[in-house]
Amino acid sequence: MDSKTHTLHLLHRMIGKDKDFRPGQWEAIEAVAIRKQRALVVQRTGWGKSLVYFLATKLLREQGAGPTILISPLLSLMRNQIETAEKIGIRALTINSANRDQWDAVEESLASDACDLMLISPERLNNRYFLEGVLPQISGRIGLFVVDEAHCISDWGHDFRPDYRRIVRIIQMLPRGVPVLGTTATANDRVIADVQAQMGTELTVLRGPLVRDSLRLQNLRLPKQSERLAWLARNLPKFKGSGIVYCLTVADTERVAGWLKMKGLSAEAYHAGDDETIDRAELERAFLNNEIKVLVATVALGMGFDKPDIDFVIHFQRPGSAVAYYQQVGRAGRAVDRSYGILLCGAEDDDIQNYFIESAFPNIDVFRGILRALEGREAMSIYEILAEVNTSLSMAMKALGLLEVDGAVGRTYSGRTLYFRTPNRWNPDRERIDRVIGLRKLELVQMQTYVDYSGCLMQFLLKALDDPNPVPCGRCANCQGKGFSTSVPPELVIEAENYLKSAQIFIRSYRQWPSSLFPAQKRTIPVELRNAPGRSLCYYGDAGWGEWVRSGKYVDGQFRAELVDASVRLIEAVWQPDPWPAWVCAIPSKRHPVLVPRLASSIAQKLGLPFIPALRRVRDADEQKLMQNSAMQSRNVMNTLAVDGPIPDGPVLLVDDIVDSGWTLTVAGYLLRQNGSGIVYPFALAQATGRKS
Amino acid sequence: MIISADSQAILLLCSHVGLPSPSEHSPLSLREWNVLARKLQSASLRPGDLLNFKTAELTELLAASDGESERIMFLLQRGGSLAIELERLESIGISVTTRAEPDYPARYRDRLKESAPVILFYSGEKALLGQPGIAVVGSRHLDEAGKDCAQFVGNACGMSGLVLYSGGAKGVDSLSMTAALDARGTAVGILADSLERAIRNPESRAAISRGDLCLATPYSPSAPFTVGTAMARNKLIYTLADFAIVVASDAGKGGTWAGATEALKAKWIPVFALDHAKMPQGNGLLIEKGAARFPHPFPERPLRLKAWLEEHSATDQASPLQPRLF
Repeated sequence: MDSKTHTLHLLHRMIGKDKDFRPGQWEAIEAVAIRKQRALVVQRTGWGKSLVYFLATKLLREQGAGPTILISPLLSLMRNQIETAEKIGIRALTINSANRDQWDAVEESLASDACDLMLISPERLNNRYFLEGVLPQISGRIGLFVVDEAHCISDWGHDFRPDYRRIVRIIQMLPRGVPVLGTTATANDRVIADVQAQMGTELTVLRGPLVRDSLRLQNLRLPKQSERLAWLARNLPKFKGSGIVYCLTVADTERVAGWLKMKGLSAEAYHAGDDETIDRAELERAFLNNEIKVLVATVALGMGFDKPDIDFVIHFQRPGSAVAYYQQVGRAGRAVDRSYGILLCGAEDDDIQNYFIESAFPNIDVFRGILRALEGREAMSIYEILAEVNTSLSMAMKALGLLEVDGAVGRTYSGRTLYFRTPNRWNPDRERIDRVIGLRKLELVQMQTYVDYSGCLMQFLLKALDDPNPVPCGRCANCQGKGFSTSVPPELVIEAENYLKSAQIFIRSYRQWPSSLFPAQKRTIPVELRNAPGRSLCYYGDAGWGEWVRSGKYVDGQFRAELVDASVRLIEAVWQPDPWPAWVCAIPSKRHPVLVPRLASSIAQKLGLPFIPALRRVRDADEQKLMQNSAMQSRNVMNTLAVDGPIPDGPVLLVDDIVDSGWTLTVAGYLLRQNGSGIVYPFALAQATGRKS
Repeated sequence: MIISADSQAILLLCSHVGLPSPSEHSPLSLREWNVLARKLQSASLRPGDLLNFKTAELTELLAASDGESERIMFLLQRGGSLAIELERLESIGISVTTRAEPDYPARYRDRLKESAPVILFYSGEKALLGQPGIAVVGSRHLDEAGKDCAQFVGNACGMSGLVLYSGGAKGVDSLSMTAALDARGTAVGILADSLERAIRNPESRAAISRGDLCLATPYSPSAPFTVGTAMARNKLIYTLADFAIVVASDAGKGGTWAGATEALKAKWIPVFALDHAKMPQGNGLLIEKGAARFPHPFPERPLRLKAWLEEHSATDQASPLQPRLF
């Protein structure tokens, strides 16, 4: 039996007797598994790229090769993909930071040659455990490299992942005979040419058509969020099946999901935020089984998520590029006759996208500051670096990531991760940064054009992606001359406006001290010393206010007047604490001595209340965000705060800039109440998100 | 870093990259590699050609046993891991060269021949390896005269444009190296332990960035120090230099003694021993064994050091030549 027939038999076992190769599938398998060469597969999602690498892996394993390494930004393979692979005896495993408890088992499988394919993130290629703990389990024998989302290899690709530069360098150092398979759903001519130049010219490129035959596209302009919420509430019930509503920010997913739930729809928010509140795997499962009608998601629901019967993909806000939009909307209608891709375009979209573009790269001073700090030392932890470089944790991590890929900074582990300066020279790659930013801006313009385009919408997207044969689809709202209406009942809009006003971010009030803190003492915080539930104005790092909080704290050294006004509006019009506070107090800091007191006194002035600085730092605490657990967080504050002078006995508004764990406010409130204050209402400009337990 | 197929094959066969310990198949020893290299040479093949063969072809071409071919094929399958590791090393400033590369240090090839290390990891300016210079060796524990001498030689090298060669360790090595670099000179350190850790030292790192220092090692860049590696490393210091000065040696034991007696026997370069009233016993014994006396304090101007060493060298250097092997 020749290889192709043999492989076809394997395919039958995976997906059914009546199936055949799709055009390009066998050619890709042959290139990597028989000829041991390099191939790039550019095919729309759902085409069967995973079949290609599973079958190639099977053939290579039959020849005695080592396991396949699948490099992907995905956290894990979809359960149904793993099951399909198992039908031909391919065992696929994952190593990532979230499944540490399974590493031993994975190592064992590798050592006994029971793992055929391992999924890792690009970052892991440079990880010591991977090099010293994982690769030796297979005696270093890697049978095949699969590079998922291969468009990231090119700077011209629509998402910029610096770690892919590392992949390119590895590919360029590979001895001959080690096959490489790149896969992507979306790459235009320029990206393909660039990937080809970097992966080697002997690359076999297999490119298929992108058009989706069932998808009906439509664009609707609805500037106000309340209008779009009302539109969703009115129109979502019309869809029989389930679908996705994409938002640009985490806060928007929560808001939209909350609204839809309120309107009686089965909806859940899905994002890459707090692991404690979001069980992504469970949400994916429930959505796959149509137990949830609407998943309100950020791009965190992305690559690799494959649900064949999605009826609609609606964008609450406009994505940043035609490619990103095509990829997201393309999740709809893979196995249904009729599906809808509707783009709602709002007034805030440009601001959010511009913010994304501007914050994509850390400021040059951050890079230089980090290198200067590292130059004098052997190695430093991230927290030692932050003590010397004035930037946020996330920006510092972003900068370190880029410096690492540039070879200017290395990473080692000694009880904790340490960074060190390498002897390699470093110059800021202005050209690359400008190129990426310039490209993002062009993509944004293209999307702005798309929204108001009067011709065939699918054709527009296909042209933007250099599809070889972009013809009018005959199905989109423009081709058909009909579609959903933008009109919504005014009373529904008013209801949505009220909802938005009342959608508040709560600061939780702790009832117990952490268990390890006071073993002798009672853990319960007495009711009369607990804080009342508090409020935050926004989520830290979210576009808009969230970004102003960041720049106010770490760049400008003061908060904008707009933040004060918004806070006062929230407190007076929405929150309306009862009984009304009689005075205002601030959380003091030695690190930023005037920042929060100035904010608190501005708020106090606008509320017509006295500002009394009743709390004092006896010594500076480490920043709360650096504390890894509740015990450290509360202990960190407990010994550093003290109460000064007489305390008014009325209710108090206790102001901080960013609330992280909430322990600072809990301890401060406890101290104020112990010293005679009335009810304590905590208030913070921003709530930190994304914290891991 | 662009790496040749020859070097890829050599690294796969002779390094531990990606292998567990113990491993089903261990990498080739220097001796085993030399045997294989001779076979390749007589078959008019290059190391990189091995990457294209199947097991059966290998057995036939190299007249190898099935077991040998299987081992070679096994080792050659680690190409993916090799690329990952080389990329990691490059990103932290460490490069690699092998005996198959045209720019492999010629002095190793000429002086050590088949015992020249097959693989050399390095960080910094590789062109320094084998430039005219003086090796300074000695134990970590030094008397005052020893410290003075180490600094004097380092300083003199720096000022007269000679490379200061040492083992890059504490004591005499770091004293002389720092003196050379402080005098705006250049230095080479041949390490017996972790190159990865050594280049994190802020002073070394700065000198490497400036192009004034090259740190190199034949061992895995993350290898911890063992006495065996330190001993085997000694000849790699001597054979890069034009002259060697033994600052302080124990008598009949220790790395310095072993390295110096080996160098005296091999006659790669003139070997001097520091000569003063309170010198360690080993220095005197080395002089008895043929080391030239190096006076303390040095009687002439620092810039005269090289000329002085030339004038006081014995002239019976061994210099037989034989064909090169990868």
